[in-house]
Amino acid sequence: MDGSADRYDRRAFLARGASGAAALGLAGVGVPALLAGCSSTPSSTGRTQTHGVSTGTPKRGGTVTMGLNSEIDGFLPTASHWDNSGLTYANTIFDTLTVVAADGSAKPYLAQSVTPNTDMTQWTITLRPGVKFHDGSPLNADVLLANIQALQTSALTGQALRGVVSSASKVSDLAVAVSCVEPIVAFPYYLSTQVGYVIAMAQLESQSSTQPIGTGPFSLVSWVPNDHMTVQRNPHYWRAGLPYLDGVTYKPISQDQSRENSLRSRTIDLMVTRDPGAIRDLANAAGYQQVRNPSVGQGDMDFIVLNTSVEPTNDPLVREALARAIDVGELVRLFGAGIAKPNLSLFPPGSPYRPADNGYPTYDLTKAKQLVAQAAPNHGGTISVALATITDPRLVNEIQAIASMWGLAGIQTTVSQVEQVTFIDNLVTGKFQAYTSEQFGAADPDLNYVWMSPTTANGPIALNFSRNKDDALETALQAGRTTSDPTARAQAYQEVDKHLSRDMPYLWASLATWSVTGSDSVVNFNNMTLPDGSRALGFANGVFNPTPMWREA
Amino acid sequence: MLRFAANRLFQLVVICFLISIFAFLLVHLLPGDPTLAILGPNDTPAARAVLLHQLGLNKGLLSQYGTWITNIFHGNLGASFLTKQTVTNALGVAVPIDLELIVVSQVLALIFAIPMALVAALRPNKAFDKVATTSTFGMLSLPTFVAGPLLVLVFAVTFKWVPATGFNRLSQGLGPNLKSVILPSVALAIGSITVYYRLLRADLIATLQEDYVTMARSKGLSTRYILLRHVMRPSSFSLLAGAGISIGTLFTGAFVVEVLFQLPGIGYQLVQAIYSRDYLVVQGMALVAAVAFVVVNFAVDFLLTVLDPRVRRA
Amino acid sequence: MAETLGATPATRRGKGLGVTFWICLAWVTLMILLAVLASVLPLKAPNFQDYSAVNVGPSAHHLLGTDDLGRDLLARVIFGSRVSLVIGFFPIAIGLVVGGLAGLLAGYRAGPTDTMLNAVSFVLLAFPALLAIMVIETFWKPVSLLKLTVMFAFVAAPLLFRVIRATTLSFASREFVVAARAMGAKTSRILLRELLPNIVPAAVSFALIGVATAIVLEGSLAFLGLSINLPTSSLGNIINDGVNSNNLSLNPYIALWPSLYIFLLLTALNLMADRLRSYFDVREVKL
Repeated sequence: MDGSADRYDRRAFLARGASGAAALGLAGVGVPALLAGCSSTPSSTGRTQTHGVSTGTPKRGGTVTMGLNSEIDGFLPTASHWDNSGLTYANTIFDTLTVVAADGSAKPYLAQSVTPNTDMTQWTITLRPGVKFHDGSPLNADVLLANIQALQTSALTGQALRGVVSSASKVSDLAVAVSCVEPIVAFPYYLSTQVGYVIAMAQLESQSSTQPIGTGPFSLVSWVPNDHMTVQRNPHYWRAGLPYLDGVTYKPISQDQSRENSLRSRTIDLMVTRDPGAIRDLANAAGYQQVRNPSVGQGDMDFIVLNTSVEPTNDPLVREALARAIDVGELVRLFGAGIAKPNLSLFPPGSPYRPADNGYPTYDLTKAKQLVAQAAPNHGGTISVALATITDPRLVNEIQAIASMWGLAGIQTTVSQVEQVTFIDNLVTGKFQAYTSEQFGAADPDLNYVWMSPTTANGPIALNFSRNKDDALETALQAGRTTSDPTARAQAYQEVDKHLSRDMPYLWASLATWSVTGSDSVVNFNNMTLPDGSRALGFANGVFNPTPMWREA
Repeated sequence: MLRFAANRLFQLVVICFLISIFAFLLVHLLPGDPTLAILGPNDTPAARAVLLHQLGLNKGLLSQYGTWITNIFHGNLGASFLTKQTVTNALGVAVPIDLELIVVSQVLALIFAIPMALVAALRPNKAFDKVATTSTFGMLSLPTFVAGPLLVLVFAVTFKWVPATGFNRLSQGLGPNLKSVILPSVALAIGSITVYYRLLRADLIATLQEDYVTMARSKGLSTRYILLRHVMRPSSFSLLAGAGISIGTLFTGAFVVEVLFQLPGIGYQLVQAIYSRDYLVVQGMALVAAVAFVVVNFAVDFLLTVLDPRVRRA
Repeated sequence: MAETLGATPATRRGKGLGVTFWICLAWVTLMILLAVLASVLPLKAPNFQDYSAVNVGPSAHHLLGTDDLGRDLLARVIFGSRVSLVIGFFPIAIGLVVGGLAGLLAGYRAGPTDTMLNAVSFVLLAFPALLAIMVIETFWKPVSLLKLTVMFAFVAAPLLFRVIRATTLSFASREFVVAARAMGAKTSRILLRELLPNIVPAAVSFALIGVATAIVLEGSLAFLGLSINLPTSSLGNIINDGVNSNNLSLNPYIALWPSLYIFLLLTALNLMADRLRSYFDVREVKL
C-alpha cells in the first residue's frame, strides 16, 4: 500500500525475463547524501548547468523515448503491482493527491488541500475544481470516494490499508473525509504513493487494467507489454501550459547493459538505471545529464533480511555473528563501482531520524568467530545458513562474496538463486533464512510501518518478512506514527533505528543507487514545480515524472 | 502422394495433441500458481481461494485441460492472468519477431556456409579448408551471450548504425525493421554457420568420392555443372536435417538473444510466463512453438524425399 | 586451377597419422588429465576470494589472472572444465548410442518403426526444453552434474536421431545396400557393415558440434540461473560471468580464457577426427 511496499513486491517479483534483470539489484551502492543527486548543488567540476534542470525557454513539441528497468502488469492501482516503473507509468497517466516537495513535505497536488482535524484522526481531502479525466468526466468527491472504497476492498491494497484507514465519506461536492484507525501524522504522504492515484469512474467500473483513464499529463495511445508504452499529450491538462512534449514512449529493457547501450547508441533518449557501473560511466560523460537519488527522505536500502523465527537465525548471537562477519566496506568496494558508500542504518546520513550512534554491529571478524563458537553448541555444533537471491548476475556474485565472508567466521553457507515468484512467496510465508533485499525507500518513515511492525509478523502470511517481534520497536513506531511534534518524532525514529540494530533482522549494506540519465537532447527532466510554485522533490528511488521535460533537439 | 500427406497430417495432429498434454501438465506441475504473482504478499488463503475460483483454476486438471482445448478449437487461446493481454495478441507480437529472426539469421548462415563448404570440399585439408574449419569452430565457441554484447558495442554504441535494442515492426518501414533485426540475427547466425558448414562439407566430400562423379568428370563436364547438378542435391541431406532442427528450435532457443536485445519473441515471453505461472500463456506459446517445429521438420522430411527420389516416402 | 574433383583427402598411410594428430591428441589428453586430477594439482583454491587481487591480469602469482571476486582464473577454468567436459561428452555419447542406433534403425527400416520413432523424437524435440528443464530442476534439487547430464542427454538423443536417420535414409536405398540385401545379408550385418561406416563421418561431425553446443548451452542455462550450483565453476558460467555488467570492459580475461579453452578443445578434436577419418577412409580407392 505504501510506495515502498508495492515497489518491493513488484520489483522483486518482476525482474523480467529471468535474464538476470537488475530489477532487484543489490548493487551495494549508496548515494553520498551530500551530493544531493547532482540536482541542487553546483558541480565541483566547474559545470555551470545543474543536471536535469534548465533555465532556458521551454520548447514545445516532439517526443522522448525512455528506457525503464521493468515492465508492469497493468494500470489499475487497486490490482496492479507497481514498482518504480509502474509508478513512473502512473505519473504519466494519473496524478496523485499529494506530491513530495523538495523540502520533504507532502504538498497537495491533485487535491487542493489535505487538512487534519485536531487529533489527526480524520483528514479532509478537498479536490481542485474544474479538473477533468481523459474521457471528459469530472473529478469530484464521488469519484474519489469510489476510488478509496475500491482500494479498501481490493485484495492487493485492502489488507495494508486496513491498518491506516477505517472509513471514508463524502463531505461536499469536492471533499471527502477519511477517518484513520489511529492518529496518523504522515497521512498526506500516503496520498503520494500507489493509493493516492485517482482513476476515472469508468475505469473503476470496468476494472480494466489495460485501458487507464486518468487526469494526468498524458493519455495512453498503445501498450504492448515488454515492447513499449506510448502516450500522447493531454491537451486539457489541469496544469496550464504543461506538458511540453507531444508524446512519450517508454521501453522496458530488463538488462542493465542493454539499457545502457541503448542510451549510448541513441536508441533511447533517457533511462532509469540502478547499475552502479553505468552510473559511474555516465556521471561526468560529455553529452549526458545524470540525476541521482535526492538527499531528502529515505532512499531504498540494500540489505540482507534474516528470518528471526527459524533456526539458526532466530538466535541473536548468530545474527550478530552474521552482521559482524560482513566486511561491508569491502563489499561496497567490490560491487559499488565507486558510486556506493556503506550505510549501516535504516536512514541515510543527514537524516533527522538517524541517531548519532545507532549501535549497529560493525565488521569485526574476531568477534564474529567468538560468537559463532559461542552459539554453535546450541545449534547442533555447526551454524549453517542458506543465503539466496533472485537471478541477477550482480546479486549472485555478491552473495558468493558474502558467503565467503561468513565462511571465514566459521559459518557454513550455501548460496542459491531462486526465481522471483518463489522468492516473494518464501519471504511472505517465512520459508527462508537469509535473503537479499532492497526496500524501505519512503518519503516518510511511517510508510514503512507495515513492513517492520510486530503486528504484521504473525500468521502464515506476514508482511513483516523478518518476523521480528519487538514490543519496544512497536512502541517507537507508534510514537513516530502518532506524534506530530517533529522533535519527538525524530526521537522516536532514532529509537526505531537503535532497536533494529539490537534486533538485527536486517543486515545493512548500503543505499541503493538509482539514477535517471539522459542525453543532452532532453532537458529539464528533473525540475517539476508544484502548483504553489515550490519545487517537487523529483526523481527518487527510480520513480520518474515526465511532466516538466522538453526536447532541445 | 495424397496418402502420404494424409498420413503426415494425422501424425502432426497426434504429435501436437501429445505436446499439448505435456505443456499443460508440466506447467501445472510447477509449485505455486498465478495467485502468487497476482497477489504478491497479499496471498492470504482467502484471497487465493477467491482468485483461483475467478480464474477457473479450482477445477480439476482434466476439466481445465478440456476447457483449454475446447477454447482452442474456437480460436480462443486464453489470456494472461496478469496483463489480461490475449495469448493471440501476445503471439501476434512474438511470431513476427521470431519469424524474421529465423529467416534473416538462417539466410545469412547459409549464404556463408554453402559457398565455404563447396570450396572446402573441392580442396579438402588444404589451406582454405583449414582456415574455414578453424574459424567456424571459433564461432561455435562463441556463445550468443558473448557475440551479442560485442556486436552491440561495435555497431550500435560506437558506430550508431543500428539500434541496440528493440524491434521495429515492418509497418514502420523496411529500413528500420531490418536495422533492428540485423544484429540479433548475426548473433544467431554465428552458431548456425558452423553447423551448416560442417554438415554440408562432410556430405560433399563423401559424395565427391562417388563413382558417378568421377564418371561425370571423365565425360568432360565442368566442375560447376557437376557440383550444382549432381552433387549438391544428394549432399544436402544432413544440411537439411540440421536446418530443420535449427529452425525448429530457434523458436524458443533464441531466448538469450531476445533478452539481450529486448525482443519479446516466443522464447522471451514463454520464460516470463513460466516465472509468473501464467498458465495459459505458457501453454499457448509452448503449443505454438511446438507446432511450428513439427511443421518445419515435416516439410524437411518431405524435401528429403524430393531431393532424392530413392528415399522411400516413409 | 587443378581441380581435384573427387580426390580423396591426402592420406599418408605409410607415414602414420601425422604430427598434427599426435599434438592434438596430446593436447586433448592433457586437458582431460588436468580435469581429472584437478584436486591433487598444485592449483589455488578455485573458490577462494582474495580481495586484494581483484581483476588482476596474468601475473606470476596468478597465471591467468583473477576474476572480479579475486578468484584465480587458472584454477576456476580447470575445475570448471570438469563440469563442462562431462556435460559436453557424456550426453552426446549417450545420444549417439541411443539416438544414433535408433536413427540407423528408423532410416533403414522405414515403415511403422520409423514412424513411431520419428513421432517420439518430434515430441521430445518440439517441446520447449527450457520449460521442461525448469520444471525438472524445481523438483530435482539441488542441480548436480549427473542431473544436468541426464537432461542434456534427453535433448541430445532425439537430435542425433534425426540427423543420423536423415543420413541413413540417403544411403539406405543405394545400390550397395540393395545388393547386400539381395545377397541375403541380415539386417544387423547391413546396418553394421554397410551403413554404419558411411554414417560415421556425418555422425562424428554432428557429434562434435553437439559437444560444443552442450558446453555453451550450459552457459545459457547459467544465464538463467538454472545451471550447476554456485560457487562451483563451469566454463559456461565463467563465460557468463565474464560478459556480465562491466566485466567485459573491465576484465575481458574472465570471458577470454574459457572461450579459448573451448575453442582449442574443439579444434583439436576436430583435427583428430578428420585425420582419423581420412586414415580409415572406407571409400579410398586402393590401387
